[in-house]
Amino acid sequence: MSIRPSEYPPPWSTSDAIAAPTDPVEERIDVGFLIVGAGPAGLAAAIRLGQLIEESPATAERLGEVPVAVLEKGKAPGAHLLSGAVVNPRGLQRLFKGRKRIEEMPFYGEVHGESVLFMTKRRAVRIPTPPTMVNHRNYVASVSQLGRWLAEEAEELGVTILPETSAEQLLVDGGRVIGVRTGDRGRGRGGEELGNFEPGSDIAARVTILAEGTQGHLTGAALERFGLRGENPQVWALGVKEVWRVAKPLDQVIHTMGWPLRAAKRYREFGGSFVYPMGDDMVTIGMVVGLDYRDTELSVHDLLQELKTHPRIKRILEGGERVQWGAKTIPEGGFVALPSHFHAPGLLLCGDGVGLVNVPALKGIHYAVESGRLAAEAAWRTLARGESMRSALASYDESLRRSFIWSDLREVRNMRQAFGRGFYVGGALAGAMTASKGRFPPRDAPTERDADQSLIGTDRAASYPAADGKLVFDKLSSVFASGNRTRDDQPNHIRIQEKVPRELAELWAHMCPAQVYEVGEADGDGTVRVKLAPSNCVQCGAITAKGGRLTPPEGGSGPEYTVT
Amino acid sequence: MAKTLVFLEHHEGAVQKGSLGVLAKAAQIGGEFAGAVVGSEVRAVAESAGGTVWVADDARLAAPLPQPRVDVLAKLVRDEGYDTVLFAQSVLAADIAAGLAARLGAGLNWGLVDFDGETGTAPALQDTVVVDVGWSTPVRIGIFRAGALDAEALTDTADVRDAAVQLEDFSTAAEMVEQAHAEQQGPSIEDAEIIVAGGRGLGEPEKFALAEELARALGGAVAATRAVVDAGWYPYSAQVGQTGKTVSPKLYVALGISGAIQHKVGMQGSNVIVAINKDPNAPIFEYSDLGVVGDLHEIVPRLTELVRSRKS
Repeated sequence: MSIRPSEYPPPWSTSDAIAAPTDPVEERIDVGFLIVGAGPAGLAAAIRLGQLIEESPATAERLGEVPVAVLEKGKAPGAHLLSGAVVNPRGLQRLFKGRKRIEEMPFYGEVHGESVLFMTKRRAVRIPTPPTMVNHRNYVASVSQLGRWLAEEAEELGVTILPETSAEQLLVDGGRVIGVRTGDRGRGRGGEELGNFEPGSDIAARVTILAEGTQGHLTGAALERFGLRGENPQVWALGVKEVWRVAKPLDQVIHTMGWPLRAAKRYREFGGSFVYPMGDDMVTIGMVVGLDYRDTELSVHDLLQELKTHPRIKRILEGGERVQWGAKTIPEGGFVALPSHFHAPGLLLCGDGVGLVNVPALKGIHYAVESGRLAAEAAWRTLARGESMRSALASYDESLRRSFIWSDLREVRNMRQAFGRGFYVGGALAGAMTASKGRFPPRDAPTERDADQSLIGTDRAASYPAADGKLVFDKLSSVFASGNRTRDDQPNHIRIQEKVPRELAELWAHMCPAQVYEVGEADGDGTVRVKLAPSNCVQCGAITAKGGRLTPPEGGSGPEYTVT
Repeated sequence: MAKTLVFLEHHEGAVQKGSLGVLAKAAQIGGEFAGAVVGSEVRAVAESAGGTVWVADDARLAAPLPQPRVDVLAKLVRDEGYDTVLFAQSVLAADIAAGLAARLGAGLNWGLVDFDGETGTAPALQDTVVVDVGWSTPVRIGIFRAGALDAEALTDTADVRDAAVQLEDFSTAAEMVEQAHAEQQGPSIEDAEIIVAGGRGLGEPEKFALAEELARALGGAVAATRAVVDAGWYPYSAQVGQTGKTVSPKLYVALGISGAIQHKVGMQGSNVIVAINKDPNAPIFEYSDLGVVGDLHEIVPRLTELVRSRKS
């Protein structure tokens, strides 16, 4: 029997995330511009708005007491941010033009050396760096630290940041987005109100900018509600990474392909790893695998552990100590999976939420920053005399299409899909696409939903290395290393069918890097119960790609990343 | 030299063990020190402690509400010139300490495991490091972590003095509507000197009886891991670990507990850790003082039997 995760859709619908305002008008919190998500996109939008307010205070007066507010579900800005990351500074340079130099930004230095390795179990062969992956003039950074820094810059410009606040529902009134409703806090497991209960509130704004990042809760609902989906479905990859304090400095950025992934077409295993130096005494290492994979025993966390046992990699970490761990999904659909529009009445969408990621270049932070900046300018335009709300917001789509984001993504639009045909064929096709600057192939390749891939079983899990607490770690100690201290007695925020075929339960249990899912007892009719430990969740979003749905838990829950 | 005031929390006519531990610490530091008992008809409670004890005895202080206690303590600090106020961790203590810090403009350090009269010691970063903490304010307020100190009763007779009770209007605005007590047998896990904790290795909820019987024989309390609390085998109030309670008994017996780090941080302060688990690779053996690899369903009943016969 071949099972597809999409055959077991979660008990959840778009309408759960969209509501009409309920608080009486006088109790609503009114802000000028509301931004959801304190990541590179949202904070870039906030900073740009702050700059514009500084430049024309008279116009700003029309925005009320709180001209710009940013909601962040994590404990603090940066707490839920995780990336490689080698950053192309272009977006930040444009945002801070004439205000900040690169030297003042929180980078670990420019990339000086790089190599791409093709791995087998015992060997690592250096191969020529594919042109899309050349990192000359790019900078190594921790996006979590970058987020903290951007938040400080935004606050200096008068932006109000509200951490520990999740945006649970998009408020739509008369066909127009008027803000969001924040999540309740202090509910017990059964939804009952505990002693510290605080209800959420309606926050109303002139324009709402969704910058929720990968698997955005409201972004997904908005794309459905306003019919903004593009021609192709979005697809994702799951990345798991660790930050190590090391004994000797690493002098280059390293990317690997091949082992421990399998090249044969039937596995559909597309991905690779990265090892980046963070100054002289830290290194970050991560493994990224496309979630269109099929093997129920594949675990990206365990593949990362396996990778670290390779002699070439082990050498780098020798004598070091793991200081942090985390996981997050990455939208990989690229150009062909972009929404048809990036705005709706009262609403603008930017960053990873709408899939602005260049997969062959392994980059998206500069697109997030640029799209946030452009969204801010469009939002600001709604204040201009003689400009209609509608045309001002529509101008965001125009400016996106004229930006470097668009031309970059267009050129590489078919590469990710080519790897659905196995590693070697995919690699060859990608080469042809690069050489032709994207003119080959003549017809665009569609993406297929990750949850539509039928499952296969192998005995792969048997070969994952056993945890030793020094080089190889189990999932639970890793959740601890993510800083996750979520209280256990809050309502479950993960929507799945809890009675599913064993294969699907196995897929979830292995896939989840945070050990949220456990295969429970059999029901006798071929299905099993799935047991959940929701407080382990680091909100990576993989479950949404593979047949379930992640919704935002109580604000302040989840990991507390600081150097990822 | 510090002049220290220790808030003595009491319950059903007895000072809490945690508070006595803090009082003993204050005595050990040296310098002038006193305890403070606040409540209604609590003179006997005050007399049961040693050293100098201020007693604020007033019908309006009957309910365990924080603000009236802030009034009493703030007045004592101002009138008597105390420069250090110490608490043992509890919900009430946290409320009072926070209110007192705000009232006096004093710095507050919590989660202390030690204090030398000048500098405190507190675990940080989820107990991965221990740091020194200090105060930059004239008055220092500290809350000790539950179980951080041994409760040694002071031997001398208490010198009980009356503290004036002058309550602010806003402090009496709140009233206690209802007080509910969790049903519980035996000591609470934070106070217990002996804890028997059960994990998923027990196999099924009914097998918790094994842990309960052993706890009864030893005169200890029963605790549980998150996994079994999650599974609904045992109440959340018994959960030990990162997201449950932090305990540091003299003896911690772990039955069928694998010992993930999330559990470890809640009990690593225990004096002696004994683990019984059939999996020799369980992480708990790495930090147990005594590890038994074997079937707990066979071992525990015999152990309980043995303890009973030794005790009788």
